Amino acid sequence: MRHIDIQKDTSFVNEFEETLHTEGPFSSWKLFQMNYQAALTTMAPSFEGLKALDYLPQMDFMEHQISSARKAIEEMNGRAILADEVGLGKTIEAGLILKEYMLRGLVKKALIIVPASLVNQWAKELNEKFYIPAVTFRKSYPWDQYDVIITSIDTAKRSPHREQILEQDYDMLLVDEAHKLKNHKTKNFAFVKSLKKKYCLLLTATPVQNRLVEIFNLVSILKPGHLGDYDSFLKQYGKDRNSLKEDAYLKQLVQKVMIRNTRQNTQFDHIKRNIETIWLDFGSEEKKVYEQLDNSTDTFPAFSKITLLRELCSSREACYLSLKKMINANTEQKVEPITTAIEQLPQHVKAAKTVELIKQFNDRKVIIFTEYRATQVYLQWYLKENGILSVPYRGGFNKGKKDWMRQLFETKAQVLIATEAGGEGINLQFCNYLINYDLPWNPMRLEQRIGRVHRYGQKNDVHIFNMAIRGTVEEHIMTLLYEKIKLFEQVIGNLDSILAELNINDIESEIQSIFSTSSSSGEAKIKLNNLSSVINLTHQQAEQEEHYGN
Amino acid sequence: MEINDLHTFLYDYFTAHHCEIVLNQNGMLTVQLTEEMDRALMNRPFYWHYIKKMGHPGEPKQLTLITNPEKRDGKHEWIHYGSPRLHQIVNHLRDHEKYTKLFERVETYKNQALFPWLIANIKISYQGKQKKDEMVSIGLHLVNGTMRLKMMEELQYKELQNTISDYCYTITPMIKLHSGFKRIEKVLETYVDDQDHDWALQSQKTMAEEIDLLSHFYKNKTDEETMQKEISEIKKRYSPYIKFDVINGGLFYLAENAV
Repeated sequence: MRHIDIQKDTSFVNEFEETLHTEGPFSSWKLFQMNYQAALTTMAPSFEGLKALDYLPQMDFMEHQISSARKAIEEMNGRAILADEVGLGKTIEAGLILKEYMLRGLVKKALIIVPASLVNQWAKELNEKFYIPAVTFRKSYPWDQYDVIITSIDTAKRSPHREQILEQDYDMLLVDEAHKLKNHKTKNFAFVKSLKKKYCLLLTATPVQNRLVEIFNLVSILKPGHLGDYDSFLKQYGKDRNSLKEDAYLKQLVQKVMIRNTRQNTQFDHIKRNIETIWLDFGSEEKKVYEQLDNSTDTFPAFSKITLLRELCSSREACYLSLKKMINANTEQKVEPITTAIEQLPQHVKAAKTVELIKQFNDRKVIIFTEYRATQVYLQWYLKENGILSVPYRGGFNKGKKDWMRQLFETKAQVLIATEAGGEGINLQFCNYLINYDLPWNPMRLEQRIGRVHRYGQKNDVHIFNMAIRGTVEEHIMTLLYEKIKLFEQVIGNLDSILAELNINDIESEIQSIFSTSSSSGEAKIKLNNLSSVINLTHQQAEQEEHYGN
Repeated sequence: MEINDLHTFLYDYFTAHHCEIVLNQNGMLTVQLTEEMDRALMNRPFYWHYIKKMGHPGEPKQLTLITNPEKRDGKHEWIHYGSPRLHQIVNHLRDHEKYTKLFERVETYKNQALFPWLIANIKISYQGKQKKDEMVSIGLHLVNGTMRLKMMEELQYKELQNTISDYCYTITPMIKLHSGFKRIEKVLETYVDDQDHDWALQSQKTMAEEIDLLSHFYKNKTDEETMQKEISEIKKRYSPYIKFDVINGGLFYLAENAV
């Protein structure tokens, strides 16, 4: 065949001549041979396959991660949407793809755009797991100084970075949480679309339930025209996914640019979640204080009252501290008796039960999640009293302290006590016992908690213990929300898009308002029940539409 | 001739760079680096800068590498294909061991002629949708124009050195370096031309398809600039080409019956 461009090596012969002219330096025979050997070893003699696997012997990849990486490279030619469910290792797949391209000499310059909170974690994973020398963007680096740069979109799109970035020719553009780019009218979308790139990976956990037009927009970054042009796409498929009927052709097209693994179709499936709800009862003294608070409708605004009740279910300390903050001239008389009563309370029933549980687990590692700082401190003290060593973990810790705590947990302490903010980012696959000491009101946050242990790398079944106190707000949340939407058993990786679908921006305040606007607990129950029914229904609809991705 | 025993490879590498081997046990290698190797591998330019400024000779470090993963101890570096250290060593070889002039070692008491060969190890990369590499080791007799393949394999058991043996003398090349290299390139061009290039056809086909889709996408719009940008991205990704990359090469003086 003719017309294949041949790029010759023009520098060799000239430089060699120069070296001969200056009489050296010349390689020894041994080192000359070794360079040849090294080049033979590092080259890629076949179009197919992942050379990177030989270079990452310390990694234990899962089957679906390897096949996804191959598919993205060999079938999709390096432009793909990676849309695995949460916890299946999209980052690992992306790292593997990037590594393969770098080894083959096809990618040198890469720009990696991720949420600000994940910048450091991406850098750590690429460096430690893949030996990819990725740096996080700092003000002092010019954008052309480093080959692999990780940044947040807010930094990247700001002047003067924006202008500099737009001048670069990237071999690889990687965008994490790409569903945030779904709207083609936003500045972020326009910015990403205008970047000069060769290969492109878009990572998202929730593409399928989105409106089809959002998928259309993501695809138009990767492969414009693949789904036709905007107007005819709208005409044919409509804006609203609810009006969609199954369309085999569209499904086929989407599959050409999107890879989606679910727990059902991966080996991951054999890791089970064992769920146990532990029901406890308040003693008579605690019950009395709880009722006292519950009846103090005129003392506190409704939403504060709910918070105080939740806190009392968690620890005396959490509730006590909040009450102390509320004391002023007007409320003093009414609050004082409650705080005095709290001071008299015995150790919390949940704390005692927690110690009992941990002792049953023998020496296994346990992670405890609580919503409240005060509970965290109390628990740490109480466990120590009972001879159990624990370390705290909070979102507010700096990175060094977080890493240290994680390491202490892995090597020294049996228990890690994390507050909610600790839910994001930390990976604790070596631990498979989790206690939800109290429950967040946002199911997304609960899923994130469980995702810390039930994720790629977990080798054992995961045991989850949920504590709830009968006859309190906890009972409502547990039975009417969580158990009803079966959140513990099945992964609702799409929960955030379900909530978006229902126009619920903040489920926590939704529930808060259910409690505070209901005049009786019976009324609150009915409303809560309705809420979970709607979530369930939307989830089922979404499940039916999964076939577009799978 | 690929590296099949990393431990031996590293041992040879450090020995060839005159580093003392402090410990060479099964799966573990400790070497006393020379200043040159310390500068090349230990990433501490400031140390060397200041120590020299202060008039001290400096103290090169010892380096311990674990080649057998079973022997990992958490204290010393585990080196393997893909580890940054090996990457560094491979790059060091690539940058420093590119040119040579070697003479075959001959034990003789009579005058003996050595004939000049230009030898080049060239990596041919075929880049379409995907990429693959092929290595060609080629030699050209600079007097009679004979060409041979697999030169490195042929020569691997020969003793070659940077100085000429006693009683030996070299024959002056008839073919100049530049034209010799052109001959080698010509042969490689013919070699690749004769191949089946299905990979390139496939790549061109995909390129045409994607450009076609793209022009449909932008048919109603006036955003010519974005469209041109994206067309050029597609071309960059799919335009097939072949690349010759000389890994290393040199002038080899070999005895008449050498190959």
